[in-house]
Amino acid sequence: MQKTTEHIPPGWDYNPATWSQRIPIVVLALIGFGIATYLSLYQLDYIDTVWEPFFGDGSVTILNSKISHVLPIPDAALGAFGYLVDAVAGVIGGTARWRKMPWIVIVFGLAVGPLGFVSVMLVVFQPVLFSAWCSLCLASAIISIAMIGPAMDEMLASLQYIQRAKKSGASTWKVFWGIRTEVEKVK
Amino acid sequence: MWAKFINIILGLWLIVAPSILGYTTAASDNGHIVGPIIITFSTISLWEATDNVRKWNYPFGLWLLLSPFVLGYELPFAIASDIVVGIAVLVLSSINITFKNRYGGGWSSLWKKNPDHSKEEFN
Repeated sequence: MQKTTEHIPPGWDYNPATWSQRIPIVVLALIGFGIATYLSLYQLDYIDTVWEPFFGDGSVTILNSKISHVLPIPDAALGAFGYLVDAVAGVIGGTARWRKMPWIVIVFGLAVGPLGFVSVMLVVFQPVLFSAWCSLCLASAIISIAMIGPAMDEMLASLQYIQRAKKSGASTWKVFWGIRTEVEKVK
Repeated sequence: MWAKFINIILGLWLIVAPSILGYTTAASDNGHIVGPIIITFSTISLWEATDNVRKWNYPFGLWLLLSPFVLGYELPFAIASDIVVGIAVLVLSSINITFKNRYGGGWSSLWKKNPDHSKEEFN
């Protein structure tokens, strides 16, 4: 396709899938991935101490708590995986991906949303259950919350597109996967 | 925008106030639960496309008005603080912003039969 203006969804003033829209989110996801990887290295005993500038042994308390080991893998490792999914899903596809590859946009939105939700829950657990705070866990939570808003406009564009596909009688399923012959039927 | 930032600061206040003012357990836990939630919704609503999320603060603002009595707060200052924050969150979360962009009818268009984004003038 020629210009970015071509990819502006109908009824919109801008294209939510441009790189200037997506790169900041991918950068945030990569920072989150770095923090979560560092914390999981501590939880997996690859490193003995963890950086904690404000809350004394707060990080140690939180990172060794029962909640953080409720799953077979430590929660930070799961977080790191979540951030990686966010980053990869943020990078895949061109600037028309909201209509050419709705599936990746939906995966992106779905990965960003729950990650933020889980982060907030973990933030609540810290003081309520353990009377402790963990600086890097808080930083990670702030990052995952900050990613939600900017990721959602693209998801909205894709969902509206799928809605139009349904209205024009195209197969919603095939349009979701970006099958070209079906995409051409969408008005 | 500014209203949402003030809500974020109010959420932060709910989180730090218990240790500054020595709240009892119920008041303290309440602040530690509601604070992060208000910060989350206010942060998400900073972007136009998710501006509506500010309204998700309503039940939590309302809860702050009731919780001192439901949970039996002991400290008068804790009661006053939660009520003032509750009112402020309710008021600030209801402030409308002027949108710079259009979003094809927004999220509500997804439930409409003839949504803005599929109307003739855009095709």
